[in-house]
Amino acid sequence: MRRAPAEVRKLHPDPIYGSVLVTQVINKVLLKGKKGAARRIVYTAMEIVEKRTGSEPLPTLKRAIDNVRPTLEVRSRRVGGSTYQVPVEVRPRRAQTLAVRWLVEFARKRREATMAERLANEILDAANRTGAAAKRREDVHKMAESNKAFAHYRW
Amino acid sequence: MANPKPLVQSTGRRKSSVARVRLYDGTGEYHLNGRKLDDYFTDPELRRRVHEAFKVTDTEGRYDVHATLHGGGTTGQSDALRLGIARALIVIDPELRPSLKREGMLRRDDRRVERKKYGLRKARRAPQFTKR
Repeated sequence: MRRAPAEVRKLHPDPIYGSVLVTQVINKVLLKGKKGAARRIVYTAMEIVEKRTGSEPLPTLKRAIDNVRPTLEVRSRRVGGSTYQVPVEVRPRRAQTLAVRWLVEFARKRREATMAERLANEILDAANRTGAAAKRREDVHKMAESNKAFAHYRW
Repeated sequence: MANPKPLVQSTGRRKSSVARVRLYDGTGEYHLNGRKLDDYFTDPELRRRVHEAFKVTDTEGRYDVHATLHGGGTTGQSDALRLGIARALIVIDPELRPSLKREGMLRRDDRRVERKKYGLRKARRAPQFTKR
């Protein structure tokens, strides 16, 4: 059993765009402690986004994340022997975390040659509400919608 | 070298790195083992960390930094340099102490790599358990 909620650690804004969101994405791309490599990937992706849209990449990234951020999800709850999928609202911090996680996860699964391209295209897709990450959000919402009947089991 | 006398000298350490820092009156230039800041630290995040001590005390561009860095990697060296600069700044002006202290910039980060133990694969990673 957890004693107390984990403390929320403050992140430094990234040095190029001055955004905590970019830091979050970098930390999610990070594998095996190679933060420098993660930074290069994310900044290259941002440059690709900039070239493709011809405008500042940060608003595009923000829009992408907003389009992936879920509002409702389902959680399992056992009531009297059977398990129900109970829809619950997603708190803002968790919604943000999930959005960043999905964006990077689905970028990894794409077929472009480099991670920077994969990430850039996933950001661009998400900004237009297409792409695997945005679809993931819709799936989660659909689950919540179809289990609406169990909403009164909320705890 | 016939350099003018430095304002202050100080030392900063982090992980295996040691930074010997001398501050001069100047314009915010860096000489790190004879190289410029942008040349020595290619990662923008590391440059940000080096700058941080000047940033929180509003003293950017008032001093030149000459430093010898040795030991460790780039992360350790940049953090060691920042600690050295912070310590030098409070010698010049003790008034800056509270603002540096608040940002934790005077704290020697004493975390080190944990040693590997015998009977374990790494510091804490145990060999996989086999039942029989």
